[in-house]
Amino acid sequence: MSRRSYLIKRVLQAIFSLWIIATILFFLFRMGLPDPTAALITEGLNPEQRAAVRAQFGLEEPLWRQYVLFLTNAVQGEFGTSFSYRAPVSEIVWERLANTMILMLAAIVIAYAIGVPLGAWLSWRRGSRVDTAGIFFGLMFRSAPMFWTGMIAILVFGVMLSILPTSGMRTLPYDATGFWDKVLTLDFLWHAILPVMIVALYYLGSPLLIMRNTMLEVYGEDFIEMARAKGLRERDILYKHAARNALLPVVTQLAVTIGLAAGGQVVVEVVFSWPGLGREILNAVRTSDFPLAQASFLIMAAFVITLNLFVDILYTTLDPRVSFR
Amino acid sequence: MKSSHLLACTAITAMLGATAPAMAQERVPPVEIYTTTESYDPIRYEGAFIIADAWRELGLDVTVSPLEFRTLLDRFYSEQDFDTTILGWSGRVDRLDPQFFLGTLDSRQGAMGANNPGGYDNPDYDALYDAQSREFDVEARRDIVHEMQELYMPDVPVVVLFHRDEVVAYNNTTFTNMNAMAGEGLYSEWVPLEAEPVGDRATLRIGGPQEPDNVNPLASTSVWGWKWMRLYYDRLVRLTPDVEPQPWAATSVDAVDDVTIDVTLREGMLFHDGEPVTAEDVAFTFDYYMNSEYSYFNAYLAPVESVEVTGDLTVRFNLSEPSAPFATITLSQIPILPKHIWEGIENPEDLTPDQIPTVGSGPFVYDRYDRGEFMSLTTNSDHFYADNISVDGVEFVIYADAEGVFTALQTGQIDMTAWRMEPGQIPLAEGNDDLTVVSVPDFGYFHMTFNTRRAPFDDVAVRRALTYAMDRERMVNVLLDGRGEVGTTVVAPVNAYWHNPFVERFEFDMDAARSELEGAGYSWDSEGRLVR
Amino acid sequence: MTMPPFLRAAAGPLKLMLQDRLAVIGLCVLSFIIVMALFAPFLSTHNPRHINEIEDGSVLTRGADVWELSESLGPLALNDAESMGAVALVVGRQGTVWSREGGEWVRVDVPVEADLNAVALQPDGRALVVGAGGTVLQRTGTDWRIIDAPTPANLQGVAWIDAAAALIVGAGEEIWRFDTATGTIEEIASPVGRGFALRSVGLDSDGTLLAVGERGLAVRYDPATNEAALERLGSSRDLNHIHIAPGGAALVTGERGTLLRRDTPDAQWVTDPAPDTRALRTGWIDDAGRAVAAGRNGIIMEWDGAAWQIVPTESERHLRALLIEGDSWLALGSDRFVTRLAPPSREHWFGTDHLGRDLFSQNVHGSRIALLVGFLGAALVVLIGTNVGLIAGYYRGRTETILMRTVDVMYGIPFEPFALILVLLFQPSLLIVILAVSLLTWRTVARLIRSQVLSLRERPFVKAARVAGASDLRIMYLHIFPNVMPLVFLELAIIVGVSIIAEATLSFLGLGPPHSISWGGILHDARLSGAWRTAWWWNLPPGIFIMTTVLSVFFISRSLEVVANPRLRARQ
Repeated sequence: MSRRSYLIKRVLQAIFSLWIIATILFFLFRMGLPDPTAALITEGLNPEQRAAVRAQFGLEEPLWRQYVLFLTNAVQGEFGTSFSYRAPVSEIVWERLANTMILMLAAIVIAYAIGVPLGAWLSWRRGSRVDTAGIFFGLMFRSAPMFWTGMIAILVFGVMLSILPTSGMRTLPYDATGFWDKVLTLDFLWHAILPVMIVALYYLGSPLLIMRNTMLEVYGEDFIEMARAKGLRERDILYKHAARNALLPVVTQLAVTIGLAAGGQVVVEVVFSWPGLGREILNAVRTSDFPLAQASFLIMAAFVITLNLFVDILYTTLDPRVSFR
Repeated sequence: MKSSHLLACTAITAMLGATAPAMAQERVPPVEIYTTTESYDPIRYEGAFIIADAWRELGLDVTVSPLEFRTLLDRFYSEQDFDTTILGWSGRVDRLDPQFFLGTLDSRQGAMGANNPGGYDNPDYDALYDAQSREFDVEARRDIVHEMQELYMPDVPVVVLFHRDEVVAYNNTTFTNMNAMAGEGLYSEWVPLEAEPVGDRATLRIGGPQEPDNVNPLASTSVWGWKWMRLYYDRLVRLTPDVEPQPWAATSVDAVDDVTIDVTLREGMLFHDGEPVTAEDVAFTFDYYMNSEYSYFNAYLAPVESVEVTGDLTVRFNLSEPSAPFATITLSQIPILPKHIWEGIENPEDLTPDQIPTVGSGPFVYDRYDRGEFMSLTTNSDHFYADNISVDGVEFVIYADAEGVFTALQTGQIDMTAWRMEPGQIPLAEGNDDLTVVSVPDFGYFHMTFNTRRAPFDDVAVRRALTYAMDRERMVNVLLDGRGEVGTTVVAPVNAYWHNPFVERFEFDMDAARSELEGAGYSWDSEGRLVR
Repeated sequence: MTMPPFLRAAAGPLKLMLQDRLAVIGLCVLSFIIVMALFAPFLSTHNPRHINEIEDGSVLTRGADVWELSESLGPLALNDAESMGAVALVVGRQGTVWSREGGEWVRVDVPVEADLNAVALQPDGRALVVGAGGTVLQRTGTDWRIIDAPTPANLQGVAWIDAAAALIVGAGEEIWRFDTATGTIEEIASPVGRGFALRSVGLDSDGTLLAVGERGLAVRYDPATNEAALERLGSSRDLNHIHIAPGGAALVTGERGTLLRRDTPDAQWVTDPAPDTRALRTGWIDDAGRAVAAGRNGIIMEWDGAAWQIVPTESERHLRALLIEGDSWLALGSDRFVTRLAPPSREHWFGTDHLGRDLFSQNVHGSRIALLVGFLGAALVVLIGTNVGLIAGYYRGRTETILMRTVDVMYGIPFEPFALILVLLFQPSLLIVILAVSLLTWRTVARLIRSQVLSLRERPFVKAARVAGASDLRIMYLHIFPNVMPLVFLELAIIVGVSIIAEATLSFLGLGPPHSISWGGILHDARLSGAWRTAWWWNLPPGIFIMTTVLSVFFISRSLEVVANPRLRARQ
């Protein structure tokens, strides 16, 4: 199989997965969630009035027609109007996605920037106390639920020391218009410190341990022995030869992590009141806001699938041993 | 042969007849209590378990099912598929008139999706409901309203569990003269008009975890939308902090007869774009609402048959039937929209956020709204009430949750909370000298509604007994920390004018519960289970 | 001795694990947690759901700025108190009577066990005490005498009319006149007659008596005519207490912060705005314009001449009586009050939550859900994942395509949001939580096992088995499976950790099984209550438990990884 047809096949598979997910979501929401107009009862609306609202939402149409409409619109990147916000879903979702991605990417970058060299170093000091301590702390932050570490961080830095803001993305009210205007401020960075720190600590463990373990494997490879035989310094062997060859699994893990990042860490967004996609989807499902819930979830899924695809392609490029099966 | 057969049959019948009382001892069917999830409302959640424990003591098989809020509403209202449900009605200003809450027990509201899911059906009650609705004389109406409360209470189709106080706070170093309003708390339409700055900043900053669904006066279906829009749209009548109707954009409201109401507008009012406010605008607005798909105000508009322009500043409302709440509720809720802006809009409910007109004539002028973050208004210096207003604007900061709001209040970023504080925050606020904590009684209520169509709740004795078995005093003390009140009738005691204090009460009394059941022929089997 | 192949496969890893120090620590900690879960009911000191309340004969003393908690008078609630000159009496539940003698409180034995609700003193030390079940006690000197009551009414208030007679009121609208000379009680007809409770009675300056009760009921009794008449005070609230000073200043306190005040005998009753809306149980006023009111949850307010001010108290006890003599101000209580947000103590090792529930017991019980979901979820994941992987890897072809496409689709679903949606869709229950945790995670296991099987199926021993005529099932489960066992164990361990965190996450978001206790749920409660910022004892332990449990599982999994991957072993 040629490389090209392999790629096409993989892309088609990805689209197929996306379609299946979209279909499952569509029916799951409509069958499983309560009527989106249910909450209007408490505002005093009678059944006829609620039917009118349902018609406005397009929910009085037969299910199959709603489904076809949903699919054709989704293909064009249109997700309709949110029931609760009465605003185009795409606007809301993109903004929330951006908020989530900023948080997650910053955290992931920090985690890998620290974790990878640290992992390499630990492998070099294998068996020592430093190694054990490194493994211990890496795993410890991986074991502590983020909502808890987040709460403790808020308690310590926000409440007891009151040196860092604990909720939201910026001090309100503010005067900014564009998206970048809002993000490129010191105030924003100030607000991002705690949540980014918490997510980064959680993610730190995996590049650290993967790097350490693959390095240990790489040490056994022939070319390292050759380098040793040539009399190169251990440090040079470590960073110039071994590390370069150990990066592939780390990069893979990085791509997968970024893919899953769109799904965000709902709890972090909840604990730090971060207006991200994860919290939005939770609200959307709770309020039976079908268009918003569908769009949010689909975009998360698209992210994951795309990044997984990217990993596969990366493999075929970097590692000639992988065949185009 | 034949006769012996007949004889045998008779014998069997006789035997059955003789043993019937013993065989009829059937277990009372198990009941399921629906309540909210703990995250939606920990108080109703815990309350359900307190009730269930006491009912089990009476030998009833009880399960508690916490449901997601929407699902709960669906089961309760839309499907009426429940045994008994704990829910609540919020106290909105327009519900101070007893019309709405009394209506929740009217049998004609018993259809699927309507407001009486418990299906209480009492023709006498329905007749009184119609009578009070048509009664224009306030005292006569009050007597009927009192009679209705006294009438339904012994049947307990619904138990008003408790009224919860809204505990809010404001920063006393930045603003004074903050007067809370029953049911509305501090975030009422009066506080921005009355607040007086004591610090440097004259802009009143409100903080809350909720925001409007939208600020389209023809699409918003949430209290949070209307609480905000009310500040920049005028109404003909305004309810005072003591909830008396006070002419506002109108100078007079006169009932020509039971079904004809003449309203004269104030002179010289201007919309924020400089156009004058005329009778045309008022008539247009009412027609526009009545002809639109938008249904939020339908209940208020139902009695209106037509609106005539009778002069530059005079309009006449023709009602299809006498309506006591028309002058207080309807006229105080419908905003005056500028005709010249809205008349060209065909499907107003489809407007996107940036297309929504925000021109009103109210004491404040719309400035901006950044979804999820911030809203602001400036004071309208041309408004007839402007001389009485001390603030130069109102800002509303939207936080993700109550935590964020409280932190902002503590650090002085906001001047007052729009929504109640969490129980854990109240002592902290009380300990802060800069903050004044205000406890506002609510006339909305949390209720447990029995499905009177379903056994065992179709039996009034069971309902009465189970009501005796609810330790509501304990719920108020333990769950609300004493900040609330045990409920009596659907018209709350704080709504003193309409509330009837002399109705039957069901104070917690397990012995009374048991004797109520015994009196109705119930007993307990050897394992203590309730049988009949 | 021959061991079944899978046992042999399991024994090897165990030996290796025992060489790894971290793994041994992990095993020990995990065993400890498992033991805790198994014996939770025996280990916990309280019922974790029980709202802990205390009844106490509390005494609060007015200090400089706050009302300070003083030494309690016994374990039973105190309901009323009165002093006159050197004599002071306090009455309370279950026949509690305290008398002050020489500045010390002394418990007095009385011949009844009933709850005593009110006390009235005469200057000569004679006293009347009334209570539940028609209890009327007369003290003369040190002698207590039970007076026969016409009915076993729940008597709530008593006041002397003069030296020879007293008026007693009760919860069934009883108005009784008691004559000391004859020792008899005369029932006075109430002007209402609907059985509304009267709660308190006081002697007015004109010699009449005013009784107050529920629904704003006020009845004035005139000893001259021996008749009772209805009076309006301007409230329909339940009125709990009346106090009238000798000069005619009067204070009525009631539910919902009801404060009715009258400065002079002829003045109108004024409804004062109260700074708190909780129930007021008792009040005190003098003719110099001083006044105090006390009630639920330690609320005490004092009149500063213009408005009522809340004065801080040291405890949230329910106050029922005031005992005020000169500068010595005492507030007495308390019926059962919730021990909310108590820091760790000998009674509650981890403190209590906002409803006074014991947090140590909650944490101990919390281990059960964590382990249950952790292990059941992981077992389910491994069961599905391993089988899918085995079948896909072994059969190849269309079976493999279908299974692996399914796995692909599942890889496209973000885990956390999906689990949330699943729980929201089907309503939280233990089963749904386990499903939500495991329904997606098996994808990883399936992929891993499949790739292992792909290489194993080409190995000579598999080919040999096939040639020998072994069935597919036999080859899969007897020949291939033991070889993927180390990998299965590794995945099992990792997924146990993942599942425990996932369950905690769901519970933290309020989507855990309802009314079950879990570590995540405890943190959820803490956050929901808003008290977690101050109550460190509430949010610290559950997180530490989650962390150590998951950490120990990860330690174990790390040593299993060495087993599964021999290349690592060589380097270790």
